[in-house]
Amino acid sequence: MPSEPRIPMEPTLEELSAYLDHELDDGAKARVAEHVAGCADCKMRLDGLRQTAYAIRALPMETPPRTFTVPATSRRSVRWAPVAGWLGGVAAAMLVIVFGVMHLSLPPLGMGTAGAAHPVSGGLGQGAAPYAQGAPYRQVAPLEGSTRYAPDSALSASSSNSKTVMDAQSSSRSLTISTDAASYHASGVVTIHVTTKGLSTEEASSVRILLMRETGQGGYLVRLAAPSNAPAFPSDYQAAYSIPQMQLPAPVAGNYTLQVTVDTSDHSGLVAWLPLTITP
Amino acid sequence: MDDRDLVGRARRGDPEAFTQLIMQYQVPVYNMALRMVGRPDDAADIAQEAFTRAWEKIRTLRDAPFKSWLFQIAANLCYDHFRRGRRYGEMPDEETNKVIGLGIATPDPQERAEARERNRLVRESIEALDPDMRLAIVLRDVNGMAYDEIAGVLRVPLGTVKSRIARARAQVQEHLQQYPDFFPSTREDARAE
Repeated sequence: MPSEPRIPMEPTLEELSAYLDHELDDGAKARVAEHVAGCADCKMRLDGLRQTAYAIRALPMETPPRTFTVPATSRRSVRWAPVAGWLGGVAAAMLVIVFGVMHLSLPPLGMGTAGAAHPVSGGLGQGAAPYAQGAPYRQVAPLEGSTRYAPDSALSASSSNSKTVMDAQSSSRSLTISTDAASYHASGVVTIHVTTKGLSTEEASSVRILLMRETGQGGYLVRLAAPSNAPAFPSDYQAAYSIPQMQLPAPVAGNYTLQVTVDTSDHSGLVAWLPLTITP
Repeated sequence: MDDRDLVGRARRGDPEAFTQLIMQYQVPVYNMALRMVGRPDDAADIAQEAFTRAWEKIRTLRDAPFKSWLFQIAANLCYDHFRRGRRYGEMPDEETNKVIGLGIATPDPQERAEARERNRLVRESIEALDPDMRLAIVLRDVNGMAYDEIAGVLRVPLGTVKSRIARARAQVQEHLQQYPDFFPSTREDARAE
């Protein structure tokens, strides 16, 4: 004699929470789903947990107050002969260069033909290697004719995507980055406006702009080269970069972070991040 | 380029490869530490120390995923922070934080004030958790890690991860239910009204 259809056993708190995270095996998932569909109490419990998780996930990702580097003392303690091997002679002395986030060892700017995408060398004297063969990052020059020095502030003023970072020691020293949009089509052009205030020419000229993406399995970055044809490095400029020329790995669409860093004389540095979305 | 390429190169002494690893993980590691210890300066110290130790020890990293290994180092440093008797520090209000966003999704002042208060209450509820539960829920809901990744970081069985996350969420929910004006939908009795 057929029995009455029965609602599966009430899920535990752990099962409901794991169900939210898609962390149950197929059998348990089906059982929880079936129970919740027929049990108002458990549906409420599940909704409560879901809203709680959303509340935590809504906390903003904060910008670190400083950039992270590896102190010279700890690097010296690492004995890696192969490094000196490929650096060779005088170049080996460059090991003492601080190479953290604030101190990426990059070839000089001025990457030749504007608009071309250039693979950047491995740095520290290593020969140039194609991006696909493991070079650390690609460098992209501004589109020809797109650079404007001391542009009017219309872009920054109207931008919905802008960030200013103040120097912790002096609020008169700051770095601002703005883009003309927060979302771009994969075939589009990103216009970036960088302004520094209160920084020396040397400090301002250390600016580096990186487009980064974490994929969950790692990530990659592209350097957006600053204009190289200014007589003295400008503290205020605007430049446009073609997304196709960045040759971003597929799938290109997704969420990216635009990071701009400036070395400061006290070595604390300034760094600002902006979110960017690229759509298919 | 995935972590394995970068880690392989870093293990062979390529400093730029390690720099890229820092750049990829600085925000998630810092935010994990921030939600664990509360104070930005303490979190930055922990993140810096985690990267320093990772660089010094990267030759010892074999088949384990770099991400889990790095977060494990940072998590241990958070525990050390509390073992030294340091308390959960107060997160500065966004208005006084030295990092100031200009023009980002600028809702009206009332909405901004409410969002700030909601965030403050959520941070307060996370602070109230014991460190084991706090770390589990931070890795899940702040860093978005899968349970098996979290198990790798915490070096505990999957069931323990499941249990800690569930209990942490229940405690946070209980805390937030005290503020129905800000979190009406976390109330279990909300639908009954």
